[in-house]
Amino acid sequence: MRQSQTAVLERNTVLSGEFVTEPIEVAWAGQARWFVQVLGGAAAEHLEVTTQISPDGLTWCDLETDTVHSTEGSLLSWPVTAFGGWLRLRGRTAASGVKVRIYLSLKE
Amino acid sequence: MSTSTGTDTPATTAEQTAAALRTAIRASDPQLSKFNPLSRILAHDDFNTGTHGWTELIGNYNGRGDLDTVDDHMRDFRPPQLSSCTFFDTGTHGAMSGTYALKLATRPYPGHTATAIRRLTMSGKGLLQIEAYFTYKAEATLGGTEQEDSFGDITWDGNLHPSEAQFGCFTVATDLCSDQGLRYHTTARYLNTDLEHRMRNQWVYAGVPEPTPREHLEGKVKLGYAADFTAPNPEDWHPFGEPQQLCFNEVPTKVNWHYLRWVVDTEARANVELQVNDRTYDMRQIPVPPYEDRYDSLENLLNFYFSVRTHSAVRNFLYLDSVLISAGW
Repeated sequence: MRQSQTAVLERNTVLSGEFVTEPIEVAWAGQARWFVQVLGGAAAEHLEVTTQISPDGLTWCDLETDTVHSTEGSLLSWPVTAFGGWLRLRGRTAASGVKVRIYLSLKE
Repeated sequence: MSTSTGTDTPATTAEQTAAALRTAIRASDPQLSKFNPLSRILAHDDFNTGTHGWTELIGNYNGRGDLDTVDDHMRDFRPPQLSSCTFFDTGTHGAMSGTYALKLATRPYPGHTATAIRRLTMSGKGLLQIEAYFTYKAEATLGGTEQEDSFGDITWDGNLHPSEAQFGCFTVATDLCSDQGLRYHTTARYLNTDLEHRMRNQWVYAGVPEPTPREHLEGKVKLGYAADFTAPNPEDWHPFGEPQQLCFNEVPTKVNWHYLRWVVDTEARANVELQVNDRTYDMRQIPVPPYEDRYDSLENLLNFYFSVRTHSAVRNFLYLDSVLISAGW
């Protein structure tokens, strides 16, 4: 049976302007799927996010196979693979902010 | 084998044979022989096979699932991670057993705490023990100026590294409840530095019960984000034993695993002892203050948690290679 883990990287957090999430170690996982749940905020339509990767959890670049995702509703989701050992999200929103929950669903 | 009186009886011989057989079987198992469990193993967690029920702690919320109702100081304890202990200088360090350890990681925010909790219940009363192989680190710093060569008490001298002073504390604790809602905690914290980043290397315990969401709802307590959820007043933490230096091993990217064994007595609702590497601390006289009010919905609660708290704006990590929980009942 394959191992799996769902981590809540942000919980009812108001993100505003440029942001990155906390990093998470994912070397054990072969596949990952982001779920970005918009909980409120006047500028929800302006939330944009993309996946970042890192060799060491300290220095980051965008995942070349990912694109910039924009919110089109209350729940945004997309898969990522071949991400190495670390993941986080980079994004931006209006200065007024958007409240979100961000889940990362991992599986071997 | 003979007893201390030199008079074997069939019953004692059988018990001794059983004990010797049990010891021999455990000694032949590379995963178990590094532990010293009580008679009943409740959980043996090796994090090469998942998180084994060690999960993020969160405060309680209302009947509508509105997480905005979670207490500010209990809403962001961060998800435990399966870590390969990978660092910028040498790549993957790996764990003590296999590649992966469970990592608790704080935010880079002074006072922030990360937790992992294991939720069980008690099917008896008596001695209860947790053992673990652990290590602790502050996140490495890349770049900066010569100012980054000093922090708190420590200036880099080719041996000591300021990273060690950037690590705050880690804690092992219980949340226990029995006898119609009598709830209490036992705690043991390694205070690596105080809040001014001075090296302390001191084991401490909390002299008060942990503030609860019900107490907040009743208007008794309101704590802010990054407050110390176990005991928010630093004066409620009291030392026991002499200071103990651990093996931080100089820089933030070398990992040395330490042994921890902690025993409590759920029959007497008392601390027993803490062993960390070659030191064993008698904790029998350390008080265990119960909550004044009774708690429903928690009968025979048996929770262990580990936590790590940064005192600086640097992420702090507690790594667990493996954990074994055992009981004498």
